[in-house]
Amino acid sequence: MTDTLQNPRLSRFTRFRQSRFAKFEFIAGSALTSMLALLVLFADILFPGGGTAVNLLERLSEPFQSGAHLLGTDPLGRDILARIVHGGRISLTVGLLSALGSVTLGTVIGLYAGYYRGFLDSFVMRFADVQLALPFILLAITVIAIVGPGIDRIIILMIVSQWVQYARLVRGSVLSLRQREFVQAAVSYGLPNRKIIFRHILPNAMGPLIILLTLNVANNILLESSLTFLGLGADPQTPSWGGMLSEGRSYIQTAWWITVFPGIAIMLTVLGLNLLGDWLRDELDPLGKTR
Amino acid sequence: MTIRQTFLAKAALRSALLVSCLAMAAPAFAQNTTLNVAQQQDPQNLDPIDTFRLSWGSIGSNIFESLVFRGEDLELRPGLATGWEFLDDETRIRFTLREGVVFHDGEPFNAEAVKYTFDRLLGAEGSKGPQRSNYTSIREVVVVDEYTVDFLMQRPDPVLITKLAGYGAMIVPPKYIQDVGEDAFDMKPVGTGPFQVVEYTPTVGVKLAKFDNYWNGEAEVDEVNIRFIPEDATRIAELLSGGVDISMNIPTPSVETIKQNPNVDLVAVDGPTVVLTRFNTAHGITADPRVRKAITMAVDRNTIVQALLGGLASPISSAQGVKSFGNDPELEGYPYDPEAAKALLAEAGVATGTEITLDMPSNDDTFREVAQVIAAYLEQVGLKVNIRTHEQGVYFNDIIENGKTGEIYYYGWGGWTFDFDNTAYILYHTGERFNPYVSDAKLDELLDAQRQTYDRDVREVALQEVARYAHEQALDLPLYNTSTIYGVSTRVEGFDPAPDDRARYMNVTLK
Amino acid sequence: MPVFRFILQRVFQAVLVTLAVTLFVAFAVRLTGDPAVMLTAESSSVTEEDLVRIRDALGLNQPFYAQYFDFIKSLVTFDLGNSFFRGSIRDLIGIALPSTLLLAVASMGISILISIPLGIHAALHKGGFSDQIIRVLSLVGLSFPNFWLGIMFVLLLSIAFPILPASGFETWRALILPALTIGIILTATNVRLVRTQMLETLSQQYVMVARAKGLSERSVIYKHALRNAAIAIVTFLGLQFGNLIGGLVVIELVFNWPGMGTLSIEAIAQRDYPLLQVTVSILAIMIVAVNLAVDLVYGLIDPRIRVA
Repeated sequence: MTDTLQNPRLSRFTRFRQSRFAKFEFIAGSALTSMLALLVLFADILFPGGGTAVNLLERLSEPFQSGAHLLGTDPLGRDILARIVHGGRISLTVGLLSALGSVTLGTVIGLYAGYYRGFLDSFVMRFADVQLALPFILLAITVIAIVGPGIDRIIILMIVSQWVQYARLVRGSVLSLRQREFVQAAVSYGLPNRKIIFRHILPNAMGPLIILLTLNVANNILLESSLTFLGLGADPQTPSWGGMLSEGRSYIQTAWWITVFPGIAIMLTVLGLNLLGDWLRDELDPLGKTR
Repeated sequence: MTIRQTFLAKAALRSALLVSCLAMAAPAFAQNTTLNVAQQQDPQNLDPIDTFRLSWGSIGSNIFESLVFRGEDLELRPGLATGWEFLDDETRIRFTLREGVVFHDGEPFNAEAVKYTFDRLLGAEGSKGPQRSNYTSIREVVVVDEYTVDFLMQRPDPVLITKLAGYGAMIVPPKYIQDVGEDAFDMKPVGTGPFQVVEYTPTVGVKLAKFDNYWNGEAEVDEVNIRFIPEDATRIAELLSGGVDISMNIPTPSVETIKQNPNVDLVAVDGPTVVLTRFNTAHGITADPRVRKAITMAVDRNTIVQALLGGLASPISSAQGVKSFGNDPELEGYPYDPEAAKALLAEAGVATGTEITLDMPSNDDTFREVAQVIAAYLEQVGLKVNIRTHEQGVYFNDIIENGKTGEIYYYGWGGWTFDFDNTAYILYHTGERFNPYVSDAKLDELLDAQRQTYDRDVREVALQEVARYAHEQALDLPLYNTSTIYGVSTRVEGFDPAPDDRARYMNVTLK
Repeated sequence: MPVFRFILQRVFQAVLVTLAVTLFVAFAVRLTGDPAVMLTAESSSVTEEDLVRIRDALGLNQPFYAQYFDFIKSLVTFDLGNSFFRGSIRDLIGIALPSTLLLAVASMGISILISIPLGIHAALHKGGFSDQIIRVLSLVGLSFPNFWLGIMFVLLLSIAFPILPASGFETWRALILPALTIGIILTATNVRLVRTQMLETLSQQYVMVARAKGLSERSVIYKHALRNAAIAIVTFLGLQFGNLIGGLVVIELVFNWPGMGTLSIEAIAQRDYPLLQVTVSILAIMIVAVNLAVDLVYGLIDPRIRVA
């Protein structure tokens, strides 16, 4: 057991074969994630109409009673399953876009800050300090009170408040990579800085980034559900998981299914991404920089 | 030396208090009864002139009283005044005050207290709060003798006597406020009502105790413990588990649960709040009255009330409920008739698939559902509705006030005076803060005229005329008058809440 | 003296960050809308004159820098000033801050009680069946929205089987559900942390040396490994605590817990500028203070950090 810890570069293949757990994580994680991706991709074929058709005659139907509404219906008679599948689109969009946005922004700024140091560097570090001191949910509520609710605003808000963590991570890698021989050599050959940054430094800093990206998608799906739960996200007509939880809240006594099923959907999705992230971590970052 | 004396004095006082507490506690111990109540909101400030919240009404109405009393039947009766008369061509109102009334701190109630109350309301302290604007028709309150005061009027105010039964007109103790200061009064006020404040803990609750020297009998329970529970589900869970005896503001989704529970009863009262959607009569397709009528006819209010609100609301034909002064029982709303609606839309040249926007505040869970049902109805006549939500403050501050709404927008109004003047003036008079679009000389004239007279018949005719005109022009889509729903444990007897949400606990007994 | 300079520098930075946060909050909150309009939202016949009068009374006609200066003064003197509508802010904070701290401490307590033994167990049996179960469960625990877990607890333990109160504050039983909800979510993170830290120290030279010396396994684990892993774990928990204080908003809402989150949300809803400024600043100051403490301790232990 100490082998892998002491010598992380030991054949990756053997380790993969050795660890049944990693295999499990990979299989379960990709199964959950790809299942969700397929459902979301084919949502319009599986559930045409987007789960928005109001039918007051069928309001609050219980789950598992009829094939028409397997997971029951909500107070407006809309099919919960259809809404969950369509709602996945919002969650995945927010999760992916916000994570990609903050990683890209954070990486670029982190690379430059770490490479050039100076004003940009101290600005990033101080900005990060201020950012970390502000409670995100309260910040979000205040900002949304100013700019109005909406999915687009939530994504931007997440990017603005999360890029610093990537910038800090990348900056750290750059600081140590700068000291390495191959970078020093590239500098002394007179390669342009931009080339050094993106050709030599970035590829070596990628591992931790990919892991954090995966985990961040998961985390932001959770965050989106909180914000929509608070009424800051999608408009009422667009099905979203957080919105469904918020709508179900006052029916918790009478119609548990409105609240329970979207929550399970969130959990399975996030679990899939977390399993993949954990697996990636074992594979790409045995030294544990991203823990 | 002096320090020592005060210390001794304090110690003596303390032991005296202790003794009296014991003396009081001993006999009462056996049947010391506490009524537990859960209400949704924390009024955040118990001073009557600092608030306009219904959540204050259900607490403050037990602590304070005013010159006029309005109870469950909405009739105006003598309160701290035994009577009143209009003098000098209705420019002076003379109130005769009740004798032998004391505040919780022992201070006597008299003409000075009345004068102090209104000087405070109309002066600097009142300026910080929302209540003052309701009472600006009063020029001055003059003390005639110990138990007589005159209200000198700035201008006629036909709703004044009603308003004197309400929030801002609650009589407050001059000496106590001057002694403890305004800030302390906010948190621990003193009134003449059947209960006195023991402790108010912001966001948690308020504890009331029976006031032994109340002039009008004695409360049945010894203590009332009111807790603030904003979460609907939590408030109901507490009711069902017996944690509270009365739970206010029951949301309609939970009505069924409560009906099924043998230990809890449901008490529903037509409340002061009406819900409507208003039209943008200035811009877009809704500037055309035919389109507004079509939309009104495309929405089935009765089904909304039955299906979404569990039948616990009444469909309305104007922006008032049946108990409102100015309501015309003869006035019928437009019938639900999608075919006629389609025809009207076609006549107005509105193409099928035209998109319109409905604006609403984001925190109203019930209306969130209603709005989506309205959208579904309108889709059937060929209109595509996009619902936009706004944070509540932004919605009122900006979207409505500055006329930034779409074609349709939500409006809910709690007209606690139950006098249509209150609602109609805001909705239809030119230049009013929450009326960005309607400007009509006829409405302005009607509304202004009825404010000049105390003659109820004349006013009623005018207000009904306003309602009918608004209906003919289809200025808004009146939806329903909400009921205030209370969940009440079967232990509780004698709970008879007033329609204006001012729950009173004096006559409540516990089994 | 470099140590002294390092401390001074860090403290100075922390003060700057705090000032930046307060400035940002004071500025942002004034963009959200007019409190005078909010205050009178339910009154009829309000004239522009009334609104001006209210604004004057609330001090909103002062220039921004004067209002900001008053706010900073009230923070520095611990007077905290007055809310627009609710009297002394210090009284409000006096209820909200202790309740949030109580909830945070209780949930951290629960999570520490569970995660330290489980984490050690998992590390000692790395790759074994129990380790795998613990790892999967901790991943599951990281996959809930916390408020949803809270609602599920209410559904199960307050509604289906009414054992525990779903809200309230006055009895200790009301603390159980919210603390359990947060505790479980924190445990998911902390088990992984303890496990990793233990694995790391167990692979260090001195542990091997201790083992080679023939010390009992028990003594190796508890005397040497755990003690060394503890520094990192305690640091992490400190940072976690700082973030937790500001992160309880939604849970406080679900459980009707009268904490800083609830108070802040009410303040935003009413545009109560002074109150919101103070609540957010206090939360921020606590986070900054914890970070500063961690920074200082690390800097004093490990001189290399001082440079960065």
